[in-house]
Amino acid sequence: MLFPNLTKYDEDLWLCARCGDCSLADKTVASNRDVYHPCAVKNVLGFEAYAARGRVMIMNDLISGELEVDENVINWAYTCTTCKNCQETCTATAEGIRIPDMVEALRKDLVTNDFVVEKHGVIEDSIINKFNPYKEPHNRRMDLFGERDWPEKASVIYFVGCTSAYREKEIARTTVQLLDQIGADFTVLSDERCCGSVLLRVGRTKSFGNHTTHNIEAIKRTGANTIVTACAGCFRTWKVDVVSEGDDYDFEVLHITEYLDRLIRDGEVVFKAPKSMKVTYHDPCHLGRHAEVYEAPRRVIEAISNVELVEMETNKRYAHCCGSGGGVKSTHGELADKIAADRIKEAEDTGAKVLVTACPFCHRGLEDGSKYSRSNLPVIDVPEFLLPFVQGKDTITKNVENPLKMKFIEYLSAHPKIFEGLKKGAVIDYDIEGDRFHVLVTGKSEIEVPPIRAENPDVELTFSPKAVEKLVALDSVVDYAKQFGALFKEPTDDEWIKFNLRLNIVKLLMKGYRKFAQRAGLI
Amino acid sequence: MIVVAIVKSSESHPLYKKLAAIVGEDRVNDNQVIISAYTKDASHLTAEKPGIVVMPETVEEVQAIVNLCSETKSPLVPAGGRNGICGACLPRVTQAVLLDMVKMDRIINIDEDVMTVTVEAGQRWAELIHRLDEKGYKLGFRGPYGGNAGTVGGSVSINSIGYAASKYGSSPDGVVSLEVVLANGEVIQTGTGWNKTAKLFARYSSFNDITGVFLGDAGTLGVKTKVTLKIYLRAEFITHADMGFKTLEEATAAFLEVQKRGFTEELILLADRQSTDTFFPGFLDSHKEIHAMFSAIVQETDEQLAARKIEIVREIALEHGGKDLGNFAAQMHWNELFNLVQPLFNNGFWLNTCHLRPITSLPEIMHKLWAIFDKHKMLENGIKWIASCLGADRAYMTGWITIFPPSKDKMELGLKIWNEMLDAIMETGGCPYWNGLLWENRSLEKVDKNFMDTYWTIKKALDPDNIFSPHVFEGVK
Repeated sequence: MLFPNLTKYDEDLWLCARCGDCSLADKTVASNRDVYHPCAVKNVLGFEAYAARGRVMIMNDLISGELEVDENVINWAYTCTTCKNCQETCTATAEGIRIPDMVEALRKDLVTNDFVVEKHGVIEDSIINKFNPYKEPHNRRMDLFGERDWPEKASVIYFVGCTSAYREKEIARTTVQLLDQIGADFTVLSDERCCGSVLLRVGRTKSFGNHTTHNIEAIKRTGANTIVTACAGCFRTWKVDVVSEGDDYDFEVLHITEYLDRLIRDGEVVFKAPKSMKVTYHDPCHLGRHAEVYEAPRRVIEAISNVELVEMETNKRYAHCCGSGGGVKSTHGELADKIAADRIKEAEDTGAKVLVTACPFCHRGLEDGSKYSRSNLPVIDVPEFLLPFVQGKDTITKNVENPLKMKFIEYLSAHPKIFEGLKKGAVIDYDIEGDRFHVLVTGKSEIEVPPIRAENPDVELTFSPKAVEKLVALDSVVDYAKQFGALFKEPTDDEWIKFNLRLNIVKLLMKGYRKFAQRAGLI
Repeated sequence: MIVVAIVKSSESHPLYKKLAAIVGEDRVNDNQVIISAYTKDASHLTAEKPGIVVMPETVEEVQAIVNLCSETKSPLVPAGGRNGICGACLPRVTQAVLLDMVKMDRIINIDEDVMTVTVEAGQRWAELIHRLDEKGYKLGFRGPYGGNAGTVGGSVSINSIGYAASKYGSSPDGVVSLEVVLANGEVIQTGTGWNKTAKLFARYSSFNDITGVFLGDAGTLGVKTKVTLKIYLRAEFITHADMGFKTLEEATAAFLEVQKRGFTEELILLADRQSTDTFFPGFLDSHKEIHAMFSAIVQETDEQLAARKIEIVREIALEHGGKDLGNFAAQMHWNELFNLVQPLFNNGFWLNTCHLRPITSLPEIMHKLWAIFDKHKMLENGIKWIASCLGADRAYMTGWITIFPPSKDKMELGLKIWNEMLDAIMETGGCPYWNGLLWENRSLEKVDKNFMDTYWTIKKALDPDNIFSPHVFEGVK
């Protein structure tokens, strides 16, 4: 059998040296990352074949003919949730060995050669004929909202998604209620179709473009400039997959948490819980690792008065998967439940009273995991969690930012040459005693300095307040760089800088950090 | 809550049913899909495929598996994190039972009275460091550079060396006691463990050092199930220095003097500009005269002590013509513990020549290797290298001279160069710390007959049916 899609990753398959970080890495090391045994599937099934380095060995054996495709290979191929934790952990190449892409390429090759999972054929047929994977009637997609006249034109489209429309209806209902309460100018597409995510995940990509084209045209007709979805799978599809599959659109795509984060920061809405509550948050893989949205959901949760957010042992980039993605839930239901049960255990270990997530599919998977492990921990999706706490607009608390933080932002904004040499897209996060902001390089000697923590920084810099005071008093960029280097190399108890590299060295060099480090006298 | 195996065992291995009876069906598998994932370590080297993979969770299960293999005279190969780079965990015979030990990863006891930690053999260095740190302790030897996945049992079985060896020596040097399952199924506890009512606190006690018999045995004499290691108080004060030199000879002389003092937790030398540029691109751009450098890391429980020691390191380096380069490389090196090697794969696939040598012999081997690199026009062919050397124990060092063929089509040339390098290393008195498929033939060419005969006598006495890792130390075909 030939593997035309998988062999496109020939160099990755050769280069992977099987160091095992994707399988067994621990959190102590590696720049204080919170990695811990990243492969949620291998953590349940045990054998190396289920972790990325094992998958690489098996893929090589398939391509060489050492292994022949049979029922076991097919079953194995659909055990990967494509959660990307292995790739995020991998530092062997700038991007990491691209296991999720390789797994999806292999699945495409299997489907092309008629090595199929019957259930996936049913799902594909349902999407082609009924525009949803659940074999539900298309004309009843919006029934969950009851009798309501949706405007034909609006500035915001709420893209519901199949799982919220047919299976996790409460998420869709509460999202609409939330948008109503906030007073958003929004509508839904009367003829919304599946975003096609599941087709890409299980290697049945033929009809994907048709659904995308239909949805883009429908959105255009509404005149909307923003698409908001509460589904992490739909969000990733729109934000990442549609673009990489070659389609183009001119509207902005936001996850509901990003949309709410903006409104909260603009004082358009305030949330308050009646009594204090400790919650933890599960990062959906589609929202986090695949679309790099980690901080917005956290800011939204932390913005609720009386709510304390506590992190699980693995979180953000290295959060364990819920087990439902990549077609695993439909193919190997018990495996998905067990993975979810492991994640529930992690959530329980925080002492939180509620597990909040931001994806209907994760919500469903985690609830099933909770039942599987007989846990009492409630699993609640973001809109449902927020709805009871809406308080209206913020008319009181404005601009209570740390003055030193604001002074530093002002200083850096006025001295963009500090960042000369860094390539467009480079992101540095700044932390002064927990107050965060970041610098985004937008061009040569051009930067933006948003007063919020970066979603996905290259480097995190932590400053003592006295170090900042010393730096912002300097006039020239040369003096700044010199002082910056001195604070790092010869720190004192009061004046210091620490940094945390969030990317591997090679990737940092590609982004121009060599010049940055040289100017700062670090090298 | 057992999840039924998704890739089903083919049940063709003769021991399948009996192994499944010992560990349960979900922890044994002989399907070729599962087996495929155990056919390599982190090197390019290959041997025989395992016949079946078993994941024991307890010493009792290991005992039962060993007894089964003894009764049936079946080959048994224990494996740790399988990220070694010499092929040591790969079976030399077909149909071997491969023990994947990573499920045996519990910390059994942190004994604060006698400053030891006892772990199951499948415990990984990274997690152990992390757990000890939470309690206010550190290890001596911290683990090989691949310590994220590398296990304690695996490392001490192949004389692994790496982090903090400059002060504490290699992995076996940190061992106080071992629990080993012998070929007859009996369990032996070494060190002070000979006394069943005593703590595990010392390695050398009353009898001869049986611990040493099993260290570096490549799994040929028994299955290690627990390892007791020395621990130390966590030292919070860390100081760093990067020192550059115009010549490798100057760098080597300074390095030796620093290493002799035993001040540094880690002392690592980069032998030429190419090596520094591969590790830390741009680091020497503003130091055109510098050709070799070393980074020193001091770690102490007292701030002044840490500061003074690094000052002395600087003074020694300056006396040898060194130049102070700051401390960025040293900080990066130490902070990126277990995460330094992997990004090097951006340069290509790793062909290593890991070995030990006296510090003073470094210039000699490097001159030979530079001649090989020149002869094969390495850089013109896109093959980069790193010559890095870690100070070890009192006055020796590792020779980690590694080349990186950047693509598949350069592998043939890379392997040719690599073989010439291995020969040169042996000719100049280098001693591999591990053998595996990498070094074994070259080591056997040099080894004294009486030395090997003694080993084989021990092997025959402990494992008369030759079930443990058969054909290891016999040479690679």
